[in-house]
Formats: sequence, C-alpha cells, structure tokens
Amino acid sequence: MESTSMKTKILVCILAIIIIVGIIITFTIGLNFELKYQETDRIQLLVGKEFEISDIKQITDEIFPNQEVIIQKARELEDVVSITAKEITDEQVNELKTKINEKFGTEITDTENELINIPHTKARDIIKPYVLPFIIASVIILVYMAIRYNKLGIAKTVLTSIFWIVITQVILLSIIAITRIPIGRLTIPMVLIVYIITLLVLTNYFEKEKKEKTEKDS
Amino acid sequence: MKKIKILTIVLAIILLSMIGFFGIYTHVQNRMENQVKDYSYAMDIKGARSIVLTVGEDIETIIKDAEGNEVEDADSLTDEELTEKGYIKEEQPVNKEEDKNSDNYKKTKEIIENRLNQLGVDNYIIKLNEESGEIILETTENDQINDVLNVITTTGKIEITDSNTNEVLFNNDDITSATVTSNQEEEGTTIYLQLELTEEGSKKLEEIQNEENTNIETDNTTDNTTQNNTTQETEENEETNQNSTEKTGKVSFDGQDVNEVSFSEQTNTKRLRIPIGNQTTNTTTLNNNANEASYIAFMVNTKKIPLHYELVGNQYILSEITENQMQIAGYIALGIIAIGIIILIVKYKLSGLLAAISYVGFIASFILTIKYTNVILSIEGLLAIAMILILNYVLVTYLLKKSYKMETYKEFFIKISPIIILSIVFCFTNWAPISSFAMVSFWGILLIAIYNAIITSNLIKIKEGKEK
Repeated sequence: MESTSMKTKILVCILAIIIIVGIIITFTIGLNFELKYQETDRIQLLVGKEFEISDIKQITDEIFPNQEVIIQKARELEDVVSITAKEITDEQVNELKTKINEKFGTEITDTENELINIPHTKARDIIKPYVLPFIIASVIILVYMAIRYNKLGIAKTVLTSIFWIVITQVILLSIIAITRIPIGRLTIPMVLIVYIITLLVLTNYFEKEKKEKTEKDS
Repeated sequence: MKKIKILTIVLAIILLSMIGFFGIYTHVQNRMENQVKDYSYAMDIKGARSIVLTVGEDIETIIKDAEGNEVEDADSLTDEELTEKGYIKEEQPVNKEEDKNSDNYKKTKEIIENRLNQLGVDNYIIKLNEESGEIILETTENDQINDVLNVITTTGKIEITDSNTNEVLFNNDDITSATVTSNQEEEGTTIYLQLELTEEGSKKLEEIQNEENTNIETDNTTDNTTQNNTTQETEENEETNQNSTEKTGKVSFDGQDVNEVSFSEQTNTKRLRIPIGNQTTNTTTLNNNANEASYIAFMVNTKKIPLHYELVGNQYILSEITENQMQIAGYIALGIIAIGIIILIVKYKLSGLLAAISYVGFIASFILTIKYTNVILSIEGLLAIAMILILNYVLVTYLLKKSYKMETYKEFFIKISPIIILSIVFCFTNWAPISSFAMVSFWGILLIAIYNAIITSNLIKIKEGKEK
C-alpha cells in the first residue's frame, strides 16, 4: 500500500516537472515550428519537363548543406519546382538555376523564377479552426458521462474527466516543447490521439467503477 | 453443411477483398481502366493552390471637374478637350501611404478569413507579412477556387453617388448589412439589393427625401402663378418639374456601375432598395441578376478591404508528401496488420483464421466505403482509418475470447461511445481535417457494427456450431 502511494507520488512529481519545464521552454525558447510554418523564402523554377524530387534534392543538398528544404512539384503539368528554405540568397538562386540547367538541359532565365518571402504561420491560426469543435464535442461527451455515470456522482465524474482531458493535453504539449518536436501537420493528429486515448481510458475506468458499485449495492 | 456455409462466406469475402484492394478493370479505348472510384485527398496530402497578394503600388489617373468632383467617362477625352471643359487630371496611388499600416494589413487578413469562412472554404492557411502587408493563402484546389479568387481580390467598395453632381452620398460606412429581395409583378420580377442603413445613413436618406419634397413644393407654388395656361400644359410642366427635382443615385461596386436608384421611391428610410437589372420574366436573366445581387450583398456583409490588393501569384503546388512516402506508410500499415493477423491465427487456431479472413474483408469493405461515401482524406482521416482498424481488431478479439454474445457487442460500443459522440459532432464541422476524421470514424464505426454482426459473428457461430 505504501509502495503504491510512493509510486503515485513519484509519477505525479515527474509529470509536474514535465509540465513546468514545458511551460518554461514554451515561454522562453518558444515552440519549434515545422519549416512549412516558419518564415521562409520560396523560389519557383520552371524546369519545363518531368523531373524527380530526388534529382532536385541532390542539387539542394549541395546548395543548402545541412539545411531543411521543402521540394514540391508545382502546376498541373508538374513541370515547375518549388523550393522552400529558411533563407535563399540571390547567389543560391543563381546556383540553383545553373545546376538545374546543367541537369535538365534547360535555360532558366530571370523571368521564369520568382523569389518570395513567406511569413510564419501563427500558432493561433493553426489551432483556431479546431477550438470550437473540440469544446462542443467535449461538452457533449461530459454531459453524456455525467448522465451515464451519475451513480458515481456527477461532480466527481465531470471534474475527473475535465482534469484528465486537460492534463493529458498539457503533458503532450510540454513533451512537444521539451523534445522540440516540430509543431505542424502532425500536431493536431497527435492531440487527437491523446484525446481519444484519454476518453477511452476514462470510459473504461468509469465502467469498472460503475460495475463495482452496482455489485456492491446489490 | 457447416463447411459449405463457411466456404460461401469466405468466397464472398475474397471477392469483396479483390474488388476493394485491386478494383474492377474493364477495357476502355485500348486500355484497362479501374471502374472503382479513387480516394479523394485533402490539401495536406494532394496539394494546394498557393495565392500571393501584395499591397497595390499602382498609380491611377483621375479626372476632376473645376469643383473637384470626379468625372467619369472622360478617359477618351484629349488633353485639349479636358482643358476646354475645365477638367483637371490628377494622379494618385491606389493606396495612400498613410493607409499602408499594420492595422490595415491585419484587418485585411481578418476580412479575407471571414470571407473564406462565409464561402464555406473547407481548408486554408493564411499568412500575413505585417511589415509589407503581403498575404499568402494556401487553399484547397477544387471547383470553388475561382470563387475564392474573386472574394479575396474584390475590395468590396460600394458607393452611391449623386447622378448629377457625382457627390458620394452613401458608402460602406453607411451600410450595416445587405440582403437580396425580389418583387414579383405581372410584367415580370425585379431583383433588389436591399441595403440596411446605419443611423447616419438613415438620416442622410431622410435629408435627401426632405430636400426633394421641398423642391417639389417650391415648384408647385411657381406653377400656381401661371394659371392662365391650359390644363394640359400645367400637367406637363408639373411632370417635367418633378423629374428635374427627383434625385437619383448611381450605384457602383468596386468601381463598376451597377444601376441607378431613385431616392423618392424608397418607402423606408432605414433601408435602400436598389434594383439589380431590369424587370424581367426571363429565368436566365433573373438568375444572373440574383447572382450579381447576392455577390454584392456577400461582399458588403463581409466588410470592405481597407487597401487595394493585387494578385501576384496563383499556382497549384503539390504536397510535399510524395507518393513514395505514402507507399512506405502503406507498407508499414500492411506489415502491422499482417502481424496482427498472424497473432490471431496462432492464438485462436481455426477460429482465429476465420476471424482473420473476416478482418481482411472488413478492410476491403472499409476501403470501398471511404471511396464511395466521398470522404476526403486528410492526415487526420488517415489517423481515423488506423483507429477504426485497431477498434475492429479489438472487437474481433473480444468476439473470439468471449464468443459471440449481444453483451460483448454492447460492452464494446459503450466503451467507445465517446468516440462515437466525437465523430458525430465533428461531422457537422466544415473544416476538412476535422470532417475527414469525423466521416472516416463515423462510417468506420457503422461498418464495424454491421459487418461484424453479419460476417464475423456468423463465421464464429457456424464454426462453433451455435447456429440455430
């Protein structure tokens, strides 16, 4: 009994440390965003023929060593390459043109390319569309749980559910902040996974409690 | 008999799996074409339209009369003709320097977001450079793309100017909202753009109408002094005088003339009813008028963009998730499923094998359901597919462990009830990543319930000889 209580205390301490460190990192260093959501430069070059992403990657690896680069095909004909990097200088643009010309035998001129600066995406803009649906769904789920497990006490059921739904998300975000997992396309799926697992665990827990209580009462 | 039944179900599953995994190929114009529908992907997997908008730097030439009012239709006049008429040519930037500030850039972004939401655009990423005002929008490439381009490049400036003096009488600041109404008469139907006015706008309209009435009264007094004229002449004069005092307004939207509006015909000073097009019985014309009115009403309701923006980039860019990466993910999923199936067979022997066959059939049915229910797959949708496959595996294991009982089913669905609620609630969302997750989950859970009740449970029951 004592060892269980000790284990719980250790677990709570670890989780508290994770949350505190996560919050400190978020407010000091900030979150690490995927390149797609950072401020970047994008250049589009008309290759004029079919190409493989791997061919362009060989070129960008030489021009942008040890840098993350997004290479995408563009236009319906897929004959334009779009290269996005943290920063692209005029020299690098010229180098890109020369190397692509050499590789594909094309004649990329100045008029065929366009270097634009893409501003960063704000975290709130990424989250905004998800907030309301999550709140509505959570409220309905809580109402359902309060009705189904009313024997366990409505306040207890609702508060326990809210606590675990919130705390698991905070832990997830803290882990993301600490481990520097980039915020991006996979963040919402990760939030969803944790949310679903929390709900399943809560339902299982309440079902077990309900069963035990019913057996006890009878 | 037991064997035949099992064999029939297994053959049906094999057929279903063949269709689900490989499709149905027919000969179309010297080539084999799969008749089974393909998946529809969201912009995070398929690609997006990338649109770049910059703050307009153009200079426009405006011709003004001696009183400083803007003169329209004077573009064709030569410099000499302009001087003769006393007109002055003025050059001014489309955007004033003092208007190019962070507040206006942010306001523009908000208005564009609002317009996209009102239009029902299911997925977009909008980025604003707060220093230059440049806006980059990435949105789903579909049939709606032209509407998107229209609503983000239209300023939404509505002006009603005095037809005689060109003085601006009403603009967006005087309007709270706009609706489209129609008036049906024997001669035909007229479509109206109904503008609800602000308190100030309402006062302006009242003043204009009072001014008109005063003019008419003054003219009538003048008419009474010429009593010697014949009755017919008096009537003609009254008509002419009334016409000359009636104030009309020229309605323009984004610099384009829309129609004229008569202020005296307005019965309520709280709103302005502007006819769009003429009275007509022609359905096509009527639809065009209604569309034009709806478009203007939409723009007015979503407020005016404070700056003039130019479209400088508009290109379809494929997703950085390549087909190769998707294939790798597919193979990994296939590997995990294979391991799961092997575990079932090893653990539950023949029952496990039958459950495994049923599971494969479920995957095939699920693929076909996703394809034919027009579910758009996003990354969240792929997550939902994984979730459904896991849930179905759990149920199959339940059925094998506890044998088929109604209680097993009930217990399983009670345990996943929060997911059912979640998927139903998310189904009402328009945002593609969420609705993709919701639709896949919804159809998946429904399929789990139906498929296992019909196929898996029957297979297990037949094998265990429990069939009545």
